[in-house]
Amino acid sequence: MRIPAFFWFFTTITASVMANDIVLISGGPALRSHERFKTASHDKYWGNFIDSALARVGELQKGLGPGDRLTWLVFRPGYVTRGEEDKQDYFKLIEERGQKHGLVPIYFDNKEQLFTLLRRDGSPERPKISRLEYYGHSNKKCWMFDYSNRVDGGAIEPLVVHVDDLEKISGSSFTPNATCVSYGCHSGEEFSQRWRMVVGRPMVGAIGKTDYSDGGMPKLSEGKGGSWAY
Amino acid sequence: MGLLIPILLLLVSADFCFAPPLQPRQTTPASGAPSDSSSGSSFDSASTTKPVVSPDATEDEEIRQPVPEKVLRATLPAAHTPARHGDTSGPYWIGQRTMVEDYCGWGWLRTEKAGWSQARWVVIQYDPEICPVPHAFLPRPQDDMDYQYKLYGEFAPYRAYEPQADVWVDVFLIKGFVSLGPAKNPILREPPAHGSSKPNRFAERGANLR
Repeated sequence: MRIPAFFWFFTTITASVMANDIVLISGGPALRSHERFKTASHDKYWGNFIDSALARVGELQKGLGPGDRLTWLVFRPGYVTRGEEDKQDYFKLIEERGQKHGLVPIYFDNKEQLFTLLRRDGSPERPKISRLEYYGHSNKKCWMFDYSNRVDGGAIEPLVVHVDDLEKISGSSFTPNATCVSYGCHSGEEFSQRWRMVVGRPMVGAIGKTDYSDGGMPKLSEGKGGSWAY
Repeated sequence: MGLLIPILLLLVSADFCFAPPLQPRQTTPASGAPSDSSSGSSFDSASTTKPVVSPDATEDEEIRQPVPEKVLRATLPAAHTPARHGDTSGPYWIGQRTMVEDYCGWGWLRTEKAGWSQARWVVIQYDPEICPVPHAFLPRPQDDMDYQYKLYGEFAPYRAYEPQADVWVDVFLIKGFVSLGPAKNPILREPPAHGSSKPNRFAERGANLR
């Protein structure tokens, strides 16, 4: 009789101590000097990936358990260069907007830093990830934090999470029932499947393009026959 | 006799009635001869004399005669690219600006001695404070299409990802350039088009749970 009671007590205590983390990742915007003359011009507005991530916060906060927390990771270099181009201090705006939702951005400068931030062991300092959402540029093979920023129409290697890099993300950093979503374009065409194979957790991704132009949460581009896929 | 008298009278009166014959008029002052606008008489002895043109001026005009090719070049937008910009010391590559639809990159780069068949497709990464790309001086990126440059700088130790074709492309870090003008011919080679991925070794092994 004493042993089941002990187990009940142990699991209850463990569950309350083992808090989880919801991670939101915001990629960087393109430069207008690269995009201005293109037919499909990206990022007329600098804050697409900031506003969309923050639009999701209210909804996610409702589902937070005791001790759970929200972490907002922002790709810093993209906002440095776009800020220089637009002559604006975007970090001030990012931090002000985060503050309204009780969030402080954690900046990362390259993919290695992101992998470090995603490395979790379940300790109170590094709780496991129960949900991960990505807002930024992507194609079927990559997340591109730096698309059309340093180089016109592309992204440089240290600032791209390619499917070949996914083995640097461990599935043990996630809770067993963790869900991941990529709100970038074309992620559902290959990246999601490779994520599930390598990281071992399902990822929802778009087949076709996603559209941030209306503000708030991105939606699938109309008229392209797009859908969401695991 | 009756006819001779009117003919003689006509000849004598013609000298009084007809104006003197016109001489060619000098519209611009010859070099070194300032015009006198206050005199106002175009029939002065000075203005009726033939303008004296120095042989040097004639030669100058001949040299400055614009040939159609030069006129065309001067009207091209790429004529506004500076001839030299940034740090142009050290080794250089010959680059030809080429744009391929739905493909990222600046164009082709080769060494001085190599032919265009050995050229590499590159994207250019630049620091605006050191040296921007040449077309940054022009109204539109396509304005220096098929122009050649000497490009100073080095290749980056990393590559760039081209998302449309799913390939990795070389990155050139520019520090200066010299404009060489329009190329004789466009380069019609296709840029690289190999897949970016390695085989997925996790497909059979299972998830990475290290």
